[in-house]
Amino acid sequence: MSEPRSEQLLQVNAVTKTFGGLHAVFQVSFHIAPGEIIGLIGPNGAGKTTLFNVISGFYAPSKGHIHFKGQDISGKPPYKLAVLGIGRTFQVVKPFAGLTVLENVIIASFAKHPKRRQAEQHAWRILETTGLADRANAQASSLTLAGRKRLEVSKALALEPTLLLLDEVVAGLNPTEADKTIELILSLRSQGITILIVEHIMRVIMNISDRVVVLNFGQKIAEGIPRDVAKDSGVIQAYLGEAPQ
Amino acid sequence: MSRKYLLLILAFGILLAVPSVIHDTFFLRIVTEAILWIGLAISWDVLAGYTGYLNFGHGAFFGIGAYTTALLMKLCGWPFFLALPVAGVAAGIVALIAGIPTLRLKGAYFAIATWALSRAIQQVALVMDITGGPDGMRLPSFLHPEFFYYLMLGAVVAIFALYWFLLEKAPFGLKVKAIREDDQSAMSLGLNPTWIKLQAFILSAVPTGILGAIYAYWITYIDPASVLGDLVTDQAVVMAVFGGLGTLIGPAIGAIIIFLFKTYFWAYLSDYQVLYLIILGGVIAASVVFLPNGLWGTVTGYLQTRKALKQEPVSQGKTDKGAQHV
Amino acid sequence: MELLPQATIDGLLIGGIYITIAIGFSLAYGVMHIIDFAVGEWIMLGAFLGYYLNLWTVVDPFILLPAIFLVFALIGFLVQPLVYRVISGKKGNPVLMGLVFTFGLALMFRGLALTGFGFYSHSIPSAISQDSFSLEMGSVFITIPYVRLAGLLYALAITLVLHFVLKKTDFGRAVRALSQHREASGLMGINAKRISSYVYGIYVGLSAMTGVIIGSIFTINAQMGGEYTILAFFIVVLAGMGYLAGVPWAAFLLGLVQSFFLIYLNPSYTLMAVFGILFTILLISPKGLFGRGV
Repeated sequence: MSEPRSEQLLQVNAVTKTFGGLHAVFQVSFHIAPGEIIGLIGPNGAGKTTLFNVISGFYAPSKGHIHFKGQDISGKPPYKLAVLGIGRTFQVVKPFAGLTVLENVIIASFAKHPKRRQAEQHAWRILETTGLADRANAQASSLTLAGRKRLEVSKALALEPTLLLLDEVVAGLNPTEADKTIELILSLRSQGITILIVEHIMRVIMNISDRVVVLNFGQKIAEGIPRDVAKDSGVIQAYLGEAPQ
Repeated sequence: MSRKYLLLILAFGILLAVPSVIHDTFFLRIVTEAILWIGLAISWDVLAGYTGYLNFGHGAFFGIGAYTTALLMKLCGWPFFLALPVAGVAAGIVALIAGIPTLRLKGAYFAIATWALSRAIQQVALVMDITGGPDGMRLPSFLHPEFFYYLMLGAVVAIFALYWFLLEKAPFGLKVKAIREDDQSAMSLGLNPTWIKLQAFILSAVPTGILGAIYAYWITYIDPASVLGDLVTDQAVVMAVFGGLGTLIGPAIGAIIIFLFKTYFWAYLSDYQVLYLIILGGVIAASVVFLPNGLWGTVTGYLQTRKALKQEPVSQGKTDKGAQHV
Repeated sequence: MELLPQATIDGLLIGGIYITIAIGFSLAYGVMHIIDFAVGEWIMLGAFLGYYLNLWTVVDPFILLPAIFLVFALIGFLVQPLVYRVISGKKGNPVLMGLVFTFGLALMFRGLALTGFGFYSHSIPSAISQDSFSLEMGSVFITIPYVRLAGLLYALAITLVLHFVLKKTDFGRAVRALSQHREASGLMGINAKRISSYVYGIYVGLSAMTGVIIGSIFTINAQMGGEYTILAFFIVVLAGMGYLAGVPWAAFLLGLVQSFFLIYLNPSYTLMAVFGILFTILLISPKGLFGRGV
């Protein structure tokens, strides 16, 4: 496998993750350059979330390595990766329900701003960016799904990450909300944040990704610019179940 | 917020003045003990309400503090104020050792593991000669009710202030609550759950050990039943659960109420001592079912809903488009 | 060294009893995800009911077992909705609250028992309490009290019945489905509430029966509950929470440890030793000996 090239922000090298006898992810390799938006797609059960979990430290890879900024991060726990600059959202949102929206983001801000006052100021700035500032003092549990997804992103953002892993942040939103989220993602990229996004909604992925990686049954079956991937027969077969006539 | 501060300062002032006004030793001892229970209830709540981990062996730290003090003072001739911090440290060390394997797991494991540990410690104290076995130990006598009143008051106020600062003001409090709410999310945000829980555990244990030390010197006689028995834990649990988990004022109020009840009960109904256990258990069970946020939690919750209902509806004041869908 | 065979047999016999303490407990956990702090108290209450029934009717406790089971299964069935309500609550942390709740129940039961039965110890006399038989193999001499053997046989019978019910009946399948995936089971038409009630009832009934057996082998008193709760928990954690197949192994292991301490070392340190073992296991393999815990 190729040597980790320090120009790449993230290098996934032949990563395999096995549970019991099952390969959830098998020999997946790809890289992400700084400033890219990479889409990760595949049918249900393809291993996208597992891969996310491996990259973000919740699982250690059974085989293979992951390099971030040239450093081997395979198997490091999530809290270390957060400090190194990897932020993530969860597919099933995980707000700190009993705390306020602001408090949720303050906690995330502690990573780069250990003192309460600076963390609070930083949190306000983040909430302004993501549009939740007017709900700052509401209980996180009182937010709608769209609000909670925003909160997920806000928390990950508050880490001031270099790489942001977004897991289905658009799914479940109505078209207006979805468009606002896409706007947000693009603005994040223009601020210099690299993004790896998992999404089922094709128009989102195809429109905003620079490149797309396709998984099926845990293996990478295609990679390239959206237009090419959309025409790939293997990809079409994976989604529709049969080769195009 | 400032109203709460004023009330607390007022309460503190009153408590400071008590011994000058009341010279009845018996009454002074009752108030001293009430203050002790406030300390025990809030220290239990640090781990239970704030961190979400139930320590059903909380009394063990109390006993460890008491026995450490007794051993140091009686067998090694140490002065009290030297033994006191060591007692706290001893409790802290036990928390560290017990916490490392058990805090990594879910709260249920921790609950029974700590309970089992406290029983094991009680067993050990019962059989070891050095601790006097079931007959316990006597400490050098120092009968001075006012001294102990001020000592207990000072200790509990300091503990309360420490907890209040760390859990309500400092980042630590929010981190602890984050772990309690969702430790996976917390991990993704840079928090190490096991380390934070361990800190909370030690934070809960050390003051309890110190309170045990004061108790030992105050009462001058300790035995496994009184300082290592289940009753210390059981009462702290009732007080915190009934008062309201996750706050400092809740357990304090719960402590006062339950302690008053206990004193009355034992004074007038001492024939029915075992009835007390039934009532304690019943109050715990009933609180969980009917008052899950405890007395204080329910009161504050009610006041907050009233305040929210009285305010203007949100849509009238906000025209910001961003507010609509979130 | 001559005592080794006896110590081993003793350990196995007592381990058998421990199986019954733990198996219901593990089952209840698997289905309802509740750690019932009152398990020792159910055992104690069952033991006392057995004691009094035996006193009044002069029927052998082993014959009373089914009656005890039915009575307590009913009690468990009726208590369960309250427990269920606590663990299904939206407020706060339901698992935590469930634990506090059963802790309160245990305290209450202990108080009730002390009020009703006092501080005295009793034992339940059985037709087989006194006798034992001996095996002699060369220089090795082993005594096996009948009543302990009966306890072991009872434990094995219960394990087999439970195994059969869980693997071969519809009810058992529903129970297993529920413990594996609550939501999916609901979608398949399994009534979680009702099954949980039955399971809790079975668990309480089993625990109560075990109390009677314990009463005929050992003594019982109103405060015995705590020790058995700890034992049940240890076995279940060693076996792996919710992993029923591991229970017999863990139970026998615990029985052997206890027996060796009794014969070779100071029994007062047994709890500390068991705790030490548990600690070490938890450090190395948090999912129990077999790595199959939840």
